[in-house]
Amino acid sequence: GKVPASNILASAPSNKNLDAWRELGCRTTHCNLEVVHRSTLVFLATKPHILPGVLEEIRPAVGSHHIVVSLVAGVTIQTLQRLLPPWTKVLRIMPNLPCVVQAGAMVFSRGNNAGDEEATLLKSLLSSCGLCEEVPESYIDIHTGLSGSGVAYVYLFAEALAEGAVKMGMPGALASRIAAQTLLGAAKMLLETGEHPAKLRGDVCTPGGTTIYALHQLEKGALRATVMDAVEAATNRACDMAKD
Amino acid sequence: MSVGFIGAGQLAFALARGFTAAGVLAAHKITASSPDTDLPTVSRLRKMGVNFTVSNKDTVKSSDVLFLAVKPPIIPFILEEVGPDIEPRHIVVSCAAGVTISSIEKKLSTFCPTPKVIRCMTNTPVIVREGATVYATGTHANVEDGKLLEQLMASVGFCTEVEEDLIDAVTGLSGSGPAYAFTALDALADGGVKMGLPRRLAVRLGAQALLGAAKMLLESEQHPGQLKDNVCSPGGATIHALHFLESGGFRSLLINAVEASCIRTRELQHLADQEEISPAAIKKTLLDKVKLESPSLSVASVNKVSLFTNKSKKN
Repeated sequence: GKVPASNILASAPSNKNLDAWRELGCRTTHCNLEVVHRSTLVFLATKPHILPGVLEEIRPAVGSHHIVVSLVAGVTIQTLQRLLPPWTKVLRIMPNLPCVVQAGAMVFSRGNNAGDEEATLLKSLLSSCGLCEEVPESYIDIHTGLSGSGVAYVYLFAEALAEGAVKMGMPGALASRIAAQTLLGAAKMLLETGEHPAKLRGDVCTPGGTTIYALHQLEKGALRATVMDAVEAATNRACDMAKD
Repeated sequence: MSVGFIGAGQLAFALARGFTAAGVLAAHKITASSPDTDLPTVSRLRKMGVNFTVSNKDTVKSSDVLFLAVKPPIIPFILEEVGPDIEPRHIVVSCAAGVTISSIEKKLSTFCPTPKVIRCMTNTPVIVREGATVYATGTHANVEDGKLLEQLMASVGFCTEVEEDLIDAVTGLSGSGPAYAFTALDALADGGVKMGLPRRLAVRLGAQALLGAAKMLLESEQHPGQLKDNVCSPGGATIHALHFLESGGFRSLLINAVEASCIRTRELQHLADQEEISPAAIKKTLLDKVKLESPSLSVASVNKVSLFTNKSKKN
């Protein structure tokens, strides 16, 4: 409820996706320049290879009153500032999928001309979608590895949990729901108690009980190292892709 | 109060050393006995001023608190031998891994109606007064007896009472624990040497690092996970190293080790309960001595007893 839908204007070359926007009550257009002319806060949400063309197109219309926020993966602030007028206030943000259900994790960094006011505005706007933190730009690729891609790791884990339950005799649909709720609940406890995950883990482990037996299996499988490897791989890939 | 040790090996020496260093007991109030006078610990005990004898019976007679500091398979023999000399005043403390209170009480009850038995599990760092000890009291050992032992053992490290069914787990963790630590320290030192440190320095630094970390943990309210995090700066050396440890399944290896030691202890106990001991596993001299000193044990009955084939180290 931060911004009324009628104040949001989205542009795209075709109607393919625009219907969804209209359904929400937003205005739509096929003209990128129109968006720039009629908005103060402009989000760039194209695919990386499209962006340079779009920036060239809108460059003439970008003024010092605009706040340009790029959601485009792998495009650095340096690149953005190079392709836009030198007075442009640029910010770069990396969200993740669960923003859709307002449980996202986003990090953003500012360009040379973006000040506290712009940062505060962005943060307050985006907090409606989840966790939103300002970071040095070097963290953005790490965020990709941790949380951008991280969502997929969690889906994988949830699937595996459910499969384990199915193996032990539980119907799949029920197992999936419980798996998801387990992850949600655990995450909620982590966020709300602020306790170290190791402590929370210990709290669940009764001596000689089921949990410690299961955890032993996870340790045998070097789950921790594998997860670290995953975050590292995704982060490195993000860095490599940005260089392209 | 006088303390006696049946057995004059590593454990007896470690405890005697610890007690005297702590000042809770004068060396001349300690007696230790063993049929084997060639043990290196025997001369060290003598040098300390501990009374050494080859007669277990003498040890019993001159002690109030009697530690059974022999290897688990020997316990039944010892109990047969000294049983007749156990008096109501004696507190019999067994340090043998896997030997249950009930098995000791059963053996002693043929000689003494209400033997005071305490089972304890300690570890070698008692020698430097940083031992980890737990104990469980037997049927006839009362609260004061437990407290007396606790006072003694607390002088050489940490000591607490537990339920007997936890003692095997304690064996796996802190009983065998020093061995895990020595292995880790050896390897850490190798790492240091590989990266250019002289061996002596590497060993010294590795040991100090573990000592310091352990001390921090004991004195902190924080979870070890948190303490670990505090050392790991983002993108730094430590987190890179930890990743290697995790990749190697470091944690699971340690869990496996504690589990294996605990399970083995239970196995040994199980075997002992079945009272199967083979003569081959006991040194011949020892067996002869036992035969000499226990006329009640007929040769036939001794041959009936068959043991675990390897003379397992304590713990």
